[in-house]
Amino acid sequence: MNPGRIKGHLPVLLPARKLMLSDIPLHDRLFNVWTAGALLIAFLVTAIGPSFAQAEAAPARSILTILFEWTPSIAKAFGFNVLISIMAMAIGTVLGVGLGVLQVSPRSMIRRLAWIVTQFFRNSPWLVLLFYCILLIPFKITLFGMSVPFPGWIKAVIGLSLPVMAYMSEYMRGAINSIPSGQWESAQSLGFTRFQTMRDIILPQTIKRVLPPWMNLYAVLTMATPLVSIVGVNEVMSLTRAALSAESRVDLLIPMYLYILCWFFLYCYPISTLTGRLERRYSVKL
Amino acid sequence: MKKTVKILAALAMTAGFAGAAQADKLDDIKAAGKLVVGIKQDYKPWGYLTVDGELAGLEIDLAKDVASRLGVEVELVPVVASNRMEFLQQGRIDLVIATMGDNPDRRKVVGMIEPNYYAGGTNVIAPKAVGLKSWEDLRGKDVCALQGSYYNRRVTQLYGPTLVAFAGIPEATSALTNGNCVAFLYDNTWIESQLATEAQWADFEMPLVTEDPQAWSIAVPLEELDAPYGKMMSEIVTDWHKTGFLIERNAENGIAASPFLQEQHDLLK
Repeated sequence: MNPGRIKGHLPVLLPARKLMLSDIPLHDRLFNVWTAGALLIAFLVTAIGPSFAQAEAAPARSILTILFEWTPSIAKAFGFNVLISIMAMAIGTVLGVGLGVLQVSPRSMIRRLAWIVTQFFRNSPWLVLLFYCILLIPFKITLFGMSVPFPGWIKAVIGLSLPVMAYMSEYMRGAINSIPSGQWESAQSLGFTRFQTMRDIILPQTIKRVLPPWMNLYAVLTMATPLVSIVGVNEVMSLTRAALSAESRVDLLIPMYLYILCWFFLYCYPISTLTGRLERRYSVKL
Repeated sequence: MKKTVKILAALAMTAGFAGAAQADKLDDIKAAGKLVVGIKQDYKPWGYLTVDGELAGLEIDLAKDVASRLGVEVELVPVVASNRMEFLQQGRIDLVIATMGDNPDRRKVVGMIEPNYYAGGTNVIAPKAVGLKSWEDLRGKDVCALQGSYYNRRVTQLYGPTLVAFAGIPEATSALTNGNCVAFLYDNTWIESQLATEAQWADFEMPLVTEDPQAWSIAVPLEELDAPYGKMMSEIVTDWHKTGFLIERNAENGIAASPFLQEQHDLLK
């Protein structure tokens, strides 16, 4: 037994623990900010490098100059993607939590209905849901004589929030079911109603279980936002296409798309690393 | 959730009926103070995006001119071939000026304004080394094209090339320069302006005789064609030809002189 760990012994300054390479989990050694950065730089050098060298010989502007010039527009359009993803996530999360709670309802009718809705949206292709939303929802709705405009990107937000809702519903169902039944029983013995138990005891405990998959879902959703360009929303993919045709440079296609990829990578990578960290912190220790 | 979708669908229908029952479109536009025009943002130099994120090009000039003649602001909505007519039908946009070819099928869906404001035909851009001489030379060869172009079917039926269709011009031209196809089937107007201005096409040519001339039309919703709004648009296009405004804007945007514009100008002046 390590005497240093026993309470009541004289405090002794233990030798500083050396951080061994083997102490770091393998996935952290392979996938961290440094390796990601190195990967990104390698990407840029291999893809943009050759065209850069060619461009220097030609009198035309270099690829890097062009990318640099378009950066403000790309940043703006990318911000739009982020906005779409955040809004879809917010709507989907709220609806999904509700649907998830309904999935564990004691009434079998409600439970079954919630299950059907969840399965329907969880197993439909995102693009198909998007198409439906774009086609079914009118561009403006007349409510009580007031016309509320419904631009394409709002429809896209709704379209993307449907699968998010379904995934979230499944996460919630799993999380609620994973809470030990003793929690329910003790709440009942203290006179809590079912609603109170759910709101004050069960749901708060599900947060840490749902958080990592929720963040993963967000990263996936962000990477899915270019889908909305297909339904005519002017986000970063549409802008890239417009930029490519405005420049009419044949050698620009690959570097430009790679540049967009980098934007998504830099945005999503920290999210997935943070998720990994949270997952390890909250992992069930037996 | 399903219920919500149903309610939204029901609302959609009521909104649609309400839209159809509205009075004169011209008055609506003036009351709203803005004209919403569907334009292309990926068809340089007719409609494209500048580095500052502004839209520019011949058709953007036209859209702005229509708005200023009506005394309203202009709102430009980027459209693509697959959604421009839907947007117009839904009422999302008031006017389409988006390189849209005038043909009988489309006339059943949207109101094509006469006279036509522009015209283009079908041709290919190919490396000089391929040495194409006639349309027949394309038979059995891989030819790049754009998805949804009206001339794809006609060219396939007549000359039997294997079409490799891409979603956008950048992808198609990239495939052409990489040698994935022997030629790129497209509008002769675009090819001419590219060959004239871009150094990267120095080894390319437009070897064939332009076929299947298509007049381009600006379009209004079908029910507006004979209403004051449609008539007003027709007068504006006539005036563009008469005053030489189109010829001037064409040259200003760096597009090769168009015989069609000259012909119309001579006809109407």
